[in-house]
Amino acid sequence: MAAPVIETHGLSKIYGNAPMIREPVLREIDFRLLPGHGAFVIGGNGAGKSTLISILAGLCAPSAGVALVFGQDTRSLAARYRKRIGMMTHQSMLYPNLSARENLEFYAALYALPDPAAAAAGWLERVGLEAVADVRVRAFSRGMEQRLAAARAMIAEPALLLLDEPFAALDAESAAMVAGLIRAAVMRGATAMLTAHAAAEIEGVSFDLFELSSGRLLPAKEETFKEETRRGRLRSLLGR
Amino acid sequence: MGALAAMMRKDLRLELRSGRSTIALVALSLLIMVVLVFALGASATRRVDSAAGALWVALIFSGMLGATRALNSESENGCIRGLLLSPLDPAAIFVAKLGASFIFMAIAEAAAVLLAILFFNLDVGAGIARLAGVMLLGALGFAALATLLAAISERTRAGDLMLPLLAVPMFVPALIAGVKASSLTLSGAPPGAISQWIRILAAFDVLFVTAGYLLFEHVVGEDQD
Amino acid sequence: MNRTATNSLGAASLLLMLAALFMIFLYVPSEAEQGIVQRIFYFHAPLAWVAFMAFGLVAISGIFYLWLGDSIWDDLGYAAAESGMVFCTLMLVSGSMWAKPIWGAWWTWDSRLTTTFVLWLMYGGYLMLRAMADDTPQVARFGAVVGIVAALDVPIVIVSVRLWRTIHPAVLVMRNGGHGLEDPRMLATLGVSMLAFTALFAWLLLLRFSELRARTRLAGLAQRLAMAQAAANDMPPGAARGIAEGAS
Repeated sequence: MAAPVIETHGLSKIYGNAPMIREPVLREIDFRLLPGHGAFVIGGNGAGKSTLISILAGLCAPSAGVALVFGQDTRSLAARYRKRIGMMTHQSMLYPNLSARENLEFYAALYALPDPAAAAAGWLERVGLEAVADVRVRAFSRGMEQRLAAARAMIAEPALLLLDEPFAALDAESAAMVAGLIRAAVMRGATAMLTAHAAAEIEGVSFDLFELSSGRLLPAKEETFKEETRRGRLRSLLGR
Repeated sequence: MGALAAMMRKDLRLELRSGRSTIALVALSLLIMVVLVFALGASATRRVDSAAGALWVALIFSGMLGATRALNSESENGCIRGLLLSPLDPAAIFVAKLGASFIFMAIAEAAAVLLAILFFNLDVGAGIARLAGVMLLGALGFAALATLLAAISERTRAGDLMLPLLAVPMFVPALIAGVKASSLTLSGAPPGAISQWIRILAAFDVLFVTAGYLLFEHVVGEDQD
Repeated sequence: MNRTATNSLGAASLLLMLAALFMIFLYVPSEAEQGIVQRIFYFHAPLAWVAFMAFGLVAISGIFYLWLGDSIWDDLGYAAAESGMVFCTLMLVSGSMWAKPIWGAWWTWDSRLTTTFVLWLMYGGYLMLRAMADDTPQVARFGAVVGIVAALDVPIVIVSVRLWRTIHPAVLVMRNGGHGLEDPRMLATLGVSMLAFTALFAWLLLLRFSELRARTRLAGLAQRLAMAQAAANDMPPGAARGIAEGAS
């Protein structure tokens, strides 16, 4: 069996200094994700999804336990491993005063791609933003920004995708586009971990389903998943 | 390194587009000089060491402003996370921000020097070129110091107060040396007298650029403990 | 920390301090030029030694903290900074008290006083940072970096201030009574005083350090309690009670 891309043992996270310790955000999470697989984590607001993603990306340290990505402790990820991770969060990590093209070219250079300009141009096309390539991101709509953020996350063809609510507040067309990018990535062998309030279906990709509640990560039951999906569809119909 | 060059290009571009133009920078230098002239009194304008002192006050103020601005460009949309996540060495972020602050300070100081020539009736000549060299040495040291400390103060309550509180005492030796060197340069002293002060400035620069380079990764991350 | 160790250190510093006071006021002869006021030197010099040494301790703790990540180093550094600040302040006060009768001014820009003043400012900056950033998880790292950088700066401060003062002979320069300690009794007094103040510092440091350690441990326990409580909330009520009863 191949080594897991993500592995956590007893992963816990609590915020606050004594005496103001708050409730644990993550509790004793034991989790594995094998290469080429996908994981979908559902949870409500404040359930800890973003925290989990941050820890796995190496941006935040656990309070207890250990998180391993590519077999490396996330607290000290070497550059060559960080190169293989692509992340999307609530914040787009795009410079508002740079154009879409400049943003992508910058990230391509940051990830040491051999031809940043070509990579940027290619991805702009893939996310349907070639028409606004030289417009500053400040002027973008939410959907456009998120599509660009997806391009930014995937421009270096990462082996691991960590996507925190990638479809949140997206119009149907942008959501479909992002879903398509995720599918394409998984098809070429990437491992993906997504979080969301409600599950979404991505055609052609099967995800292991999890629920994050009270700090524990547990496999979600099929019924819960369907229920969440139904609620999710309802919500997007209602524009929420 | 390609990534570092990309960082610096990006920072330069952002600075040019930030809309807070060079005019504001020059205006700041002008105001500081004006305040000092009136505060020190008209007779002070006849003395070369007042000019030197005024220039270094302007340097400190523009330095603190420059360092915080350089770091702030990463705060929108969580861009700093994008940098930390990437294979980029955090020390490269330091170098890029140091470069941006330094350029900012150099422009502000150029304006200040021009104003000082005017207000303090300084001799324009070879002395000014040497003065520029001294000021640049000082700007480099302060930029390094301020960049490192601004990363800390940015994440601290009363951060605007914290930066000068930490930076000014640490800058004292360079301030002493810089003002002395500037004053001696302006009054045409022989290089021998100035060199001991230059050595101090240089040592300061080496210390803080190196320390900043090595320690920046510890102050720039998120919750890493 | 061991209670006995702390108490013995406290007792030792008390004894040493009494001995030092005796020697300073009764044993050692007055210095020829400055008279009785010169005795302040036997406070002033040890205070200076401790203030600078404590600062070094802050920096070294900072290095170890960044390297090893164990919070014990951070607690040591913070305790050293707080204790050192006390001695640094006393040094400035004693320097001022010395200057007034000798030179007629409460403050002189003597190279040593000036350097100590800069040190005092850096201590102050460190302590303010710790106070203002205490809600940030990285406060320990910030403290370590500031402590290290400030300590590395101190040699440059010393050199630059000394150079600054010697170029201006017109300004009052307070003579360091340390040069010209002819009488061996003076050296002995100085030695005992040094020991006494060092012991006093060590005692204060130990007290403060124990407090900070306890606080850190408390934080760790609070975290574990929060985890246990959350786990208990998962369980049906009966099971939780059963475990509690079993534990007690």
